[in-house]
Amino acid sequence: MGTRVVTTIGRLAAGVAIAFSASISFAAQPALTEQMEFFEQRVRPLLVEHCYPCHAGNKRQGGLSLEYRSGWQTGGDRGPAILADRPEDSPLLRAVRYQDDYPQMPPDGKLSAEQIAVLEQWVRMGAPDPRDGEAIEAAPGPSGTLWVLEPLPDVTPPQVDNAEWPLGDIDRFVLARLEQKGWQPSPDVDRGAWLRRVTFDLTGLPPTMAEVDAFLGDASEEAFARVVDRLLSSREYGERWARPWLDLVGYADQIGSANNVPAEQAWRYRDYVIRALNAEKPFDQFIREQLAGDLLTSSSIEERQDQIIATGFLVLGNVNIVESDKLVMRMDLVDHQIEKVGKAFLGMSLQCARCHDHKFDPIILQDYYGLAGIFASTESTRKVDRGVWSTVTLVTLPETLAEFTTREAALSAHDREVEEIRQEQALSARRIDEIDRLLETAEQGISNGESATLANASSPEDDRSPAELKQERADLAAKVAACNQRLWHKDYIRPSAPATFAVKEGAEIGNSRICLRGNPHAPGDVVPRGFIRAMARGTGPKIPADQSGRQQLADWLTGPASHVVSRVTVNRLWQKLFGRGIVDSVDYFGARSEPPSHPELLDFLARQFISQGWSQKQLLRELVLSRTYRQQSTATTAASTMLAADPDNRLLWRMSPRRLEAEMIRDALLASSGLLRCSAGGPALAPEFMENVGELDPKSVNPISFSLQRFRDDAPRVRTIYLPVVRSSEQRGPADILNFFDFPQPAQYTGGRPTTAVASQALFLINGPLLQQAAKSLTETLLADSSLEDEEARLHALYRRVLNRPCTPEELSNARAFLGASAPAAPENGSAGADASRHDSWQQLAHALLASNEFLFRL
Amino acid sequence: MRGSQQLSYVPAVNRRDFLQRAACGFGSIALQAMLADIATAAKAPLAPRATHFAARAKRVIFLFMAGGPSQHDLFVPKPRLVRDHGRRVGLTDLPSGAPVGTDKFLTLGPMAPILPRGESGATISTLLPHLAKVADDLCFLHGMQVDNPAHDLATLQFNTGVFNEVRPAMGAWASYGLGSENENLPGFVSIHADADVRAYGSAFLPAAHQGTVIGQIPTDPRESAIRFLSDPETTKDAQRRRIDFVQAANRELLDRIGEDRVMEGVIDSFELAFRMQTATPQLVDLSTEAAETLALYGVGTDATDKNGRACLLARRLCEAGVRFVQVTIGGWDHHGDIRGALPNSCLGADQPVAALIIDLKRRGLLDDTLVVWSGEFGRTPWSQDITGTAPLEKHGREHQPESFTTFLAGGGVRRGFSHGETDEFGYKTTSGRVHIHDLHATILHLLGLDHERLTYRHAGRDYRLTDVYGTVIRQIIA
Repeated sequence: MGTRVVTTIGRLAAGVAIAFSASISFAAQPALTEQMEFFEQRVRPLLVEHCYPCHAGNKRQGGLSLEYRSGWQTGGDRGPAILADRPEDSPLLRAVRYQDDYPQMPPDGKLSAEQIAVLEQWVRMGAPDPRDGEAIEAAPGPSGTLWVLEPLPDVTPPQVDNAEWPLGDIDRFVLARLEQKGWQPSPDVDRGAWLRRVTFDLTGLPPTMAEVDAFLGDASEEAFARVVDRLLSSREYGERWARPWLDLVGYADQIGSANNVPAEQAWRYRDYVIRALNAEKPFDQFIREQLAGDLLTSSSIEERQDQIIATGFLVLGNVNIVESDKLVMRMDLVDHQIEKVGKAFLGMSLQCARCHDHKFDPIILQDYYGLAGIFASTESTRKVDRGVWSTVTLVTLPETLAEFTTREAALSAHDREVEEIRQEQALSARRIDEIDRLLETAEQGISNGESATLANASSPEDDRSPAELKQERADLAAKVAACNQRLWHKDYIRPSAPATFAVKEGAEIGNSRICLRGNPHAPGDVVPRGFIRAMARGTGPKIPADQSGRQQLADWLTGPASHVVSRVTVNRLWQKLFGRGIVDSVDYFGARSEPPSHPELLDFLARQFISQGWSQKQLLRELVLSRTYRQQSTATTAASTMLAADPDNRLLWRMSPRRLEAEMIRDALLASSGLLRCSAGGPALAPEFMENVGELDPKSVNPISFSLQRFRDDAPRVRTIYLPVVRSSEQRGPADILNFFDFPQPAQYTGGRPTTAVASQALFLINGPLLQQAAKSLTETLLADSSLEDEEARLHALYRRVLNRPCTPEELSNARAFLGASAPAAPENGSAGADASRHDSWQQLAHALLASNEFLFRL
Repeated sequence: MRGSQQLSYVPAVNRRDFLQRAACGFGSIALQAMLADIATAAKAPLAPRATHFAARAKRVIFLFMAGGPSQHDLFVPKPRLVRDHGRRVGLTDLPSGAPVGTDKFLTLGPMAPILPRGESGATISTLLPHLAKVADDLCFLHGMQVDNPAHDLATLQFNTGVFNEVRPAMGAWASYGLGSENENLPGFVSIHADADVRAYGSAFLPAAHQGTVIGQIPTDPRESAIRFLSDPETTKDAQRRRIDFVQAANRELLDRIGEDRVMEGVIDSFELAFRMQTATPQLVDLSTEAAETLALYGVGTDATDKNGRACLLARRLCEAGVRFVQVTIGGWDHHGDIRGALPNSCLGADQPVAALIIDLKRRGLLDDTLVVWSGEFGRTPWSQDITGTAPLEKHGREHQPESFTTFLAGGGVRRGFSHGETDEFGYKTTSGRVHIHDLHATILHLLGLDHERLTYRHAGRDYRLTDVYGTVIRQIIA
């Protein structure tokens, strides 16, 4: 409160000065002068003391500023605070009177009756107020001070004392920081552990036993690079590195989060990201395709397909597709797209500027609406026939000849099946007609006093009672209805020309108006389409009047703003390898972020990233082949000073151990136990199973919905990235592990996952079926392997499969003790019981190893 | 983005400190004390925290009526709706702000009498006879408001304050603000949750504040209410042996690593998990309750069994120290044939909810337990006919976020009080509007927390449950 008083006195002084100049215009009217005195003596002090704390300066609770006349004239969320024509109804008075449904102001206690009377009198006077001026919200911070906006300098790697240690430039930067502190880097990790580390980091999987043997058998220095090149060219590389990108996109196989609306084509984007990474698509091109692929030229059908699919980036997040207020819905979508672009490429929270200039980063309202115009000129969703619903725009893809041929074949098979269902339905319908005739006849017969069987009716072979016939009719009617369901379902999964969720240029292209306080129903000035001024060096590309500006936005990001984009991108890759980014908050590089731990190194890498053609593989290769990356994660006694002074390892005096991400845990469990199967990607949802699809009736007011009742047979054994991702509920079936190990909610866009350690994870590891299945499979393999001569060999094999190393003598004796205790008394009656008991104790041991931190952490 | 927060929940006292202190030659008593110290620190995210000011409520039970119950059939008698039942709304009297086309709808009167009850005269439908008996303990808010007409999104907003972003649920905020009163239990439990996980998520708050879900309360006490709480295939001894093996290996690894807070957290979590295996089933086992209590909640009676168990478990969890218990009672989304369906929904919810209030009161718990009863929105005063051909008596009501009824009980709110009024249709609030942000502010206030000071730094910004909104509704505080 103390500081507030000081600042308001300062403001008051300024206000008085303005009042003085303003009062000149009132001087001709003595009555007004009197009113001014009343204001200055009675009203202003009251406002300053009771209202300014929340309604002046950059504080505008409820959108209302009471600092200037214009503040209450414009008003806040509830409109003008004082109504000239109906003074008694003025929100200001209703609020201070604590009247009906208005907010009670001031909130910490009602004003005295006398004070309220002052305000009433003032309002009745017509609220004379000399305070000219505009309430302006906090101006953006000086842009020059934010380091990420500085151009990338040409940094020379520093000199180091220990010239033996560095393998490359990265190491010189890291070592120099350590040497400044008088510290030393940690020793190299042993080669087997390095192989496990780098294989997890580049492919998300542990190495196989053969890969371990091959690497350990090659003592040359080049062996390291050979391993890295092998891993970078594997399919698994793309499968591992696509996932962090999907985290940023808010990817799910669901549109929005209402009513389980399936995103049947989302997988195309997921597979596109994997392809792009494996094909070493330059990152600037990756950006360009995702923002404006549809506007680029192409030289093949496959390339064209990828360009269109890539724009799914803009629509595969948590897009709202049901909102009665279409204007709000449209603006919310634009807001999502701006948020995503800001976070993914610029490391900035742009969406704050929807309502006001950013409080501490150099992003102003005009920048936001400049971008908004670009996305508002882009078609992302469209209204559908069903109820109040919209959906994400679906764009038909050009088809290769091979795809066309395959589809034609599938289509004729499909049509045959449809025809069969139709015939079945027609048959039932005909039989219903027959029964109806029979029943009609019978009823006539009954009314004529004849016996209630149909034996004597038209059909001599049918001697059933009307009740029986009615039952049959009901069964047939159910069958006809079921056939309808099947036909709708067939129609839903009909092999059709490939299509994908994408954006295209909007029907109307133009600039956006500012939405006052973010409200699209309160339009302000028109802002020309454009980019974030403070972030660019030089002017950005011009947006032609007939284009949305997406292509120019991509050009701007990879051109004038590339110093920001490359820093953000390099930092993300660094974080995935070293556990923390050089900038810790990987999605936020603004004024409130922690300063980078190695700013020169980040600049060096960002500059190199651009000069090496935005190559992610090239950068990763250099990072994992560095000496810094090769350090061991265990802290020797010599490291105790560093451990005490820098427990978070900000200066990289060792490798930080890191718990595997959820997908890696599951994939590693499957790989180590021999259960893992390759997948070529493709649709994640399984709409071919009718039980997975709801709301098929074309007359339904709700969109078609999906559920995950049934998974394809191979689902439990494919890599986690290929499993369906749900936005509105927990992850299902084989993806259950994601619910336990910090998988980010796909309704958000995030580049960093937390690492939690909670009891529900321990229960999953202790009692969940996934580890039990893996342990069982692993045990079966080990016990069936006749090449393993004795228990010791078998134990070594177990450790090698799970931890990629043989067991130590101590572990050997512990494991033996465990096996002995787990099977205390082998049943005497025959070998079957003994086998079962032996199997069980081995499975218990395998389970324990799979639940251990050495397996679950990348060391 | 979460990087800067990511390790904040792990023990503040680490193993290394402990070893250093242990090495200084304390006796075994000091060692015990230190172990206790470490045990507390290990649960640091849930350790009790001081409130901003004196609390009126120590805990909250949120009875979430998923689907949106009709205030026009349950709590808000409007003579106009009775008078105009079946008549077109018409253009002349259309309340301002009503959606275009509303004039063509038919006014739908309440399906059963809504009568004044108790000394307070609170109006409650004859469909809720049990609740009517505790009317004088309730505090009604008739001017509730949310901003979205879709279930999922309104549910999100009711729980987290927003519907277009990922933010922590109010239970997670309560757990974060207050910690847990029981170190072996989570601070936030959600029973029968069927909504989006975000509705009980912790978002950027430490994961320990995430709502622990009890999907189904087992009728057989041997069954588990928490996922993977037990493994029927493995004996307790075998399981303990396996855990011991894991823990020994984990400690050995940690010794080599030197220090790692996540590894330490994992070691602690295994012990807590093992303890939960024995503590939680007892808590969830309702068979130890007196027969009279079970009957009070309607446990064992078909219509009320599920909700009765949930409400009873909510009381037990509160007694055991859980801060925020959410109970979802669904079945209120009556778009069609409300006259046929609403009585059943009432039958399933009425007795268990009233029993909870009675039971809390007689145990002296109601004074410092805030009970909140609400749907994500209410329903319209005019009818909805989803088929287009149904007679009026088969019509239902559409969603209405503009105004609806919520009631509170206990925890420092006024008893037998009604706040807020709507126009003659029951569409637009004329006084006592309570936006969901205001309710959130009030709930935190009753818990002793200032909604403007309960913040969490994330992505360079301080977040609040109430964002930049919210006013404490002082009129309803006793």
